[in-house]
Amino acid sequence: MSARAATKGAVAVAERMRAARASSTSLRIVGAGTWLDGGRPSDARERLELAALTGIVEYEPGDLTLTALAGTSLEELARVTAAEGQWLPLDPAGASGGTIGATVATASWGPLASAYGTPRDQVLGCELVSGTGDIVRAGGRVVKNVAGFDLVRLMTGAWGTLGALTEVTVRLRARPEVDRTLALEARAEDAWGWLRAATFSPLAAELLSPAVARGMGVGANATLLLRIGGNAGLARAAAESAATLGEAREVDGGVWTALATSEPREAAVVRLSTLPSRIGALWDRASAVVERVGGYAHATISRGVVRCVIPTASAGDEEIARLRGLLTTLRVDATCIAERLPASLWRSLMPAAASDPLSVGVRNAFDPDHLLNPGIFGEPS
Amino acid sequence: MTAAAISPTDTALAARLAEIVGERRVLVRAGELRSYESDGLPGYQARPSIAVFPGTRDETIAVVRLLAELQVSFVPRGAGTGLSGGSLADGVVLLGLHRLTRIISIDADDARAVVEPGVVNASLSRAAAPYGLHYAPDPSSQTACTIGGNVAENAGGPHCLKYGVTLNHVLGITALLPSGEVVSLGNPEGEHEGYDLLGAFIGSEGCFGVALDVTVRLERNPEAVRTLLADFSSVDAAAHAVSAIIAAGIVAAAMEMMDAATIQAVEASIYAAGYPTDAAAILLIELDGAAAGIDDDVARVAGYCRAAGARGGRTATDPAERARLWQGRKKAFGAMGRISPHLVVQDAVVPRTRLPSTLAQIQLIAERYRVHVCNVFHAGDGNLHPNIGYDATDPDEAARVHEAMSAIMQTCIDAGGTVTGEHGIGIDKLPYMDSLFGPTTLSAMCALREVFDPDRRANPGKVVPVHSCREWHGAPAARAGAGGRT
Repeated sequence: MSARAATKGAVAVAERMRAARASSTSLRIVGAGTWLDGGRPSDARERLELAALTGIVEYEPGDLTLTALAGTSLEELARVTAAEGQWLPLDPAGASGGTIGATVATASWGPLASAYGTPRDQVLGCELVSGTGDIVRAGGRVVKNVAGFDLVRLMTGAWGTLGALTEVTVRLRARPEVDRTLALEARAEDAWGWLRAATFSPLAAELLSPAVARGMGVGANATLLLRIGGNAGLARAAAESAATLGEAREVDGGVWTALATSEPREAAVVRLSTLPSRIGALWDRASAVVERVGGYAHATISRGVVRCVIPTASAGDEEIARLRGLLTTLRVDATCIAERLPASLWRSLMPAAASDPLSVGVRNAFDPDHLLNPGIFGEPS
Repeated sequence: MTAAAISPTDTALAARLAEIVGERRVLVRAGELRSYESDGLPGYQARPSIAVFPGTRDETIAVVRLLAELQVSFVPRGAGTGLSGGSLADGVVLLGLHRLTRIISIDADDARAVVEPGVVNASLSRAAAPYGLHYAPDPSSQTACTIGGNVAENAGGPHCLKYGVTLNHVLGITALLPSGEVVSLGNPEGEHEGYDLLGAFIGSEGCFGVALDVTVRLERNPEAVRTLLADFSSVDAAAHAVSAIIAAGIVAAAMEMMDAATIQAVEASIYAAGYPTDAAAILLIELDGAAAGIDDDVARVAGYCRAAGARGGRTATDPAERARLWQGRKKAFGAMGRISPHLVVQDAVVPRTRLPSTLAQIQLIAERYRVHVCNVFHAGDGNLHPNIGYDATDPDEAARVHEAMSAIMQTCIDAGGTVTGEHGIGIDKLPYMDSLFGPTTLSAMCALREVFDPDRRANPGKVVPVHSCREWHGAPAARAGAGGRT
């Protein structure tokens, strides 16, 4: 099939989109349904279900690139690539049943972003259906490509508001020879200093607050999980270097999956970010506050990001008011991006995203009637 | 416009520009404008109406606002080292940014720098060196090209194999839109929510506006570096070695391949690096990172080369030898340029597994059109540079070179690749955009551009064919497979 030919799935979605446009029917884009409670409340009239768009379209291990329909789960991608000793090093929170389309649309990432970056750094191409039912095939299938304006970057993290993704091409990596995880107690400030001076880059360096460290059985206090990848010589030296930071024990690699799947269904989840050099102060402040209200936090040290998870299952009005106050304090001196919040807090706490003139222009170019995931960035539906 | 005539409109504009930047920095005479009639690619010349060179951020803003007021088109230009004709200004204003050379700040703690667009790529690394840092994207033109130009093209270079391209190194840009408005793209101090407009701006080839300042990520200098040279009696063998190394999970900092024609050109020049002149292909492989374990990787890489049939190889044992090995690669284009009056440096990408067959086809094309092709490539990512030396004043040869290049580009597209990995579309690759992208996708690109530049005055006519810029919504229903064209 020529690189420019639309997939069957895209053609079907385009028909649905055109019908929706003709009847002014707003649509909530749904993959595996793992992101329905993510983002600002979106009151679309109907759902655009893409879970059936699954399957590997093209996988050439020698090229370290893979093209899959957007509804293919991360789990399936992991299975297929592991058979070739490869992987897509993306480990966002949540069960691995999440789709590659949703992962790219939300630009979700996890601890491995420390070494491998976020979806922005890993997507090579995508196919999408715009809010007007037009099929766009952006990017390509090769790892270096500067042809034309970068629509792929535009779609990554657009939360479906510019178009529904129907196919994605990603770059893969060969799995490292050694993949070991060490756990050690450390302060955020010290962890940052150690990382900065280290001659190697760990695959991940994630600091866990006491509650989640205890829950996962890796430590009684704030614990740094260090994921080391490389050859045997490097792994040995890395372990020795880690010992200078604290007493390090090797733990089972399953901790990373456990961390990813530990987030309660009903929770407020926000990411606080700052310059990596300021992670110490941000962590000390945020992790203490969050743990006091029964939540937990973990930080991707090298990226300066603290992920705060606060359960809200039994939250009444009083708890929500307290949560509002808590988040307001946390946001001082840090960028705050919310993934999940009780509905009432979005409007009062989080200003709309993508509301600047350029972003509004982009939205109007791709979805002029604002039919796709309306409200998900906070603009009036 | 004839050589002598300057229109009254241009004279008036030149006068107003001179009020902003000073008379010395506004060029209108044909003789003065000659240096700005082309970039690094021979075969394209176009004369600007006026060339203007602001020296400060404020002057740049004032110039663009004046051009907006008068609805005048302009083309931003850095050092003019581009290889796609992207900075050619045909009868419009050329906005030269090479005087904006300030390194505004370097933050050693967070390994980042804020620079003006005219800062030379290698100068940034030099300034970062005392902090044990460097700027990783290293195009071959790095001693001349500017960060602003690198941003416009999303430049790569040999070390992008491990470290990534410009897109992966820019944290924020203060952008001056063609309207004269100044906007901040990205968030250097934390995460960014919303559309990745920063990502869209990088690689937009000057069509979205001008970067007034760029916040870049710097890399820590590696503890250890090892550079190996391996030579092979066939390109195929060299390509297999590359595949084996990558499949083994060894992340090389760079893997560069040069073919026999290139080796001979280099070794016959003052840049001779001691490459074996009877080799069909050589691989220049660099590993860097922690000292621990690196020599194990070197041994394995050497093993994979041998297993693939390498005839010989050596590892540089000191910085001088490393520099010599790299000199041959970095000056390869210069060496080729010695042999003929003109050199067209090309740029294309194919999936790495298709490199050997693509090179075989390039050889056939070269024979068919009786041109001499020297191939240099970033073997690790399938980005090839088939270069042809010729005499551009010989119309027959120029035509054959042009045909050969078209055939080569089509070969790369047919192999599932793309027509540019680093140099951009500019004007040179415009004819291929219709082969790479369907009409709807091209229109979407145009629509994006119009968000940044509603009047289409910034670098007009580049990147997207003008005929693609039409109302694109509500196209007739597409059919999948053979019928569907997106």
